[in-house]
Amino acid sequence: MEIKMTNLTKEFQGVAAVDHVNLTMGEGVYGLLGVNGAGKTTLMRMLCTLIRPSSGCITCNGKNIFEMDGAYRRLIGYLPQEFGFYPEFSVQDYLMYVSSIKGVRPAVARKRIPALLHQVGLSRAKNKKMKKLSGGMKRRAGVAQAMLNDPKILILDEPTAGLDPNERIRFRNLISELSSERLVLLSTHIVSDIEYIANQVLLMKDGRICQAGTQEEILRATPVRVWSFFAEKKEIETWQRNYLVSNVKTLPEGVMLRVLSEQAPCREAKEEAMTLEDVFLYWFGEKAGNHDDVL
Amino acid sequence: MTYYEIKKIWLRKGSRIALGLMLAVLVLILYFIIGENGYVNEKGDEEIGFSAIAKVRALKKEWAGELTEAKIRGVLEENVRISNTPEAQSKDFQQNDMAYSQKQGFLDIRDLCVYAYGGFNNYDYYLPDSLSPDVAVDFYPNRIKNLKEWLNTEGKDQFSEKEKEYLISQYETLKTPLYYDYQAGWKSLFQYAPAVISIATLILSFLCAGIFSGEFQQKSSAVLYSSLYGRDKAVAAKIKAGIMVVTIFYWGVVLLYTGLVLGILGADGASCQIQASSEGWKSIYQITNWQEYLLIVLGGYLGCLFMLLLTMWVSAKTDSAVAAVIVPFVLLFLPSFLSGSSVVLLNKILGVLPDQLLSMGQVVEYFNLYEIGGKVVNAAVILLAVYPILTCLLIPVLYRVYRKKQVY
Repeated sequence: MEIKMTNLTKEFQGVAAVDHVNLTMGEGVYGLLGVNGAGKTTLMRMLCTLIRPSSGCITCNGKNIFEMDGAYRRLIGYLPQEFGFYPEFSVQDYLMYVSSIKGVRPAVARKRIPALLHQVGLSRAKNKKMKKLSGGMKRRAGVAQAMLNDPKILILDEPTAGLDPNERIRFRNLISELSSERLVLLSTHIVSDIEYIANQVLLMKDGRICQAGTQEEILRATPVRVWSFFAEKKEIETWQRNYLVSNVKTLPEGVMLRVLSEQAPCREAKEEAMTLEDVFLYWFGEKAGNHDDVL
Repeated sequence: MTYYEIKKIWLRKGSRIALGLMLAVLVLILYFIIGENGYVNEKGDEEIGFSAIAKVRALKKEWAGELTEAKIRGVLEENVRISNTPEAQSKDFQQNDMAYSQKQGFLDIRDLCVYAYGGFNNYDYYLPDSLSPDVAVDFYPNRIKNLKEWLNTEGKDQFSEKEKEYLISQYETLKTPLYYDYQAGWKSLFQYAPAVISIATLILSFLCAGIFSGEFQQKSSAVLYSSLYGRDKAVAAKIKAGIMVVTIFYWGVVLLYTGLVLGILGADGASCQIQASSEGWKSIYQITNWQEYLLIVLGGYLGCLFMLLLTMWVSAKTDSAVAAVIVPFVLLFLPSFLSGSSVVLLNKILGVLPDQLLSMGQVVEYFNLYEIGGKVVNAAVILLAVYPILTCLLIPVLYRVYRKKQVY
């Protein structure tokens, strides 16, 4: 299974949301990391044939996915960022309906749905109306629907957004379980999700893939070092103005700063091992004003 | 797929409210119908209810038969006799009602006399009270004479010569004597049919408006379109579900309405020509009550289906249920604002708009004629020929619009 994007571009009113992306993906878990508005969702929607590219093409094993039409859609499972459903349907009905539009025969669906519900921990909620499910349960029902046709390509757009820490951990484990022998593309702006489950990391910025590789490759390729040092509270603003500060830890006698810089920012600075979070800050720093997002 | 599409529609709370509303409308109409078919007893008091309906039916049944010269004479004589009784001449309403009670059996035929002996567009309720029984011989000739006079005066500029010839020919070829029977069931059925069908159409538009746009409003379109059948069979299933909902709901309502009205008032008079009642006296359509009923319900179904497919097309095109639900309102109510104009062309256009299909009972009462290739045809023929084609054409258009959608 090989998905190849060649010069893939999507413009909305002259603005490129996805800009000449060239990428090849095989089996494995791909973590697509980028800030909001980077073009992750647009890229994924093109991969799901929901949007046609302005130029360039996507092929699956050498065939254009839009020409493959149903034959390609048979291979994919998709959990959108805003997972819409039919509020009055029970979980069971919802999954039966999605099975029918995915071409899963009713007899097969009746066997597959209980197994999937068990896997996502929704067995006891199968008769509950979709509108009565909690946020985490809805996302799990979303994963179940994406898996109904046993897809070879699983595309998950921000699957952990809005989940509490427990749900997120559970969700990450679930995705790991489901990822064998498939191509899983997972978009997020939560770095820890990628750290835990992705084999390959794709950094997306302003519609382009700016870095791609394994976590180690990405870390190695980032042309910056990480330093930590103690500073006084009143100096924080000055440091933040001049450096990318990835963490500020308040201590009784001052603050411990974690700073990205090619050279040691001060004599007391101690070099630290780089993490994916530091990489995220390096690439998306000017936009990563909200520290809560970088977990 | 179709099963779940139908389930999506019926599970909405609004759908159940709409269904309740339709039933409430039917109950209200039945209440009106029972109220309108009262019986006035010998004491001049009005009785309402099933026994009253049975009494009126029995009285009218006594006058059933061919409307020959002798029968018309009999009605005119009896009418004049009763009108000259002290009760009828009295200034006391109760006394008048006692006189009226004696006329109930032949009231329908008396009404026909109002039209036959009055002018084409005049209605004088008291006219038969002053008619001599000797004019009975003019009952049928007057119908044609009145038309000809009207075509030479008020209706002069409304029709071409060919159309005038057609109208006269339709009048002249009507087989007489007409057969009269008690037909209150059919007349009440026809009277409220446009209201029932129009309300059913509006409710259906509300039910079906979200079939396509709902996917975008609920943000479920991404899963739909990324699935194997999302751009073909699922779209077809939506269209099929829409047509099935329209069909089941429409026929359910129409048959329930028919069953209730005819069950209460009786189905007598099914084979009477529509001209044997005051409502159809002027009609150019040579059909029976049963045939008019078929025309009304089949036309209504066709109109309903056409409007609902149009609603679904707007829903698919705009992704908005609100925009879609406006369509049948515009199609139903805009023509009524424009009607009554003296502009012949406008009237001809209004005569073939889809709202006409929902009130075929009125179509058969009006003189909407069209000259096509030198041949004069009536509105019903055009409506029943054109709209099935347009309805069938809408289906692939709707399918194409929806399957090409992109999800941003």
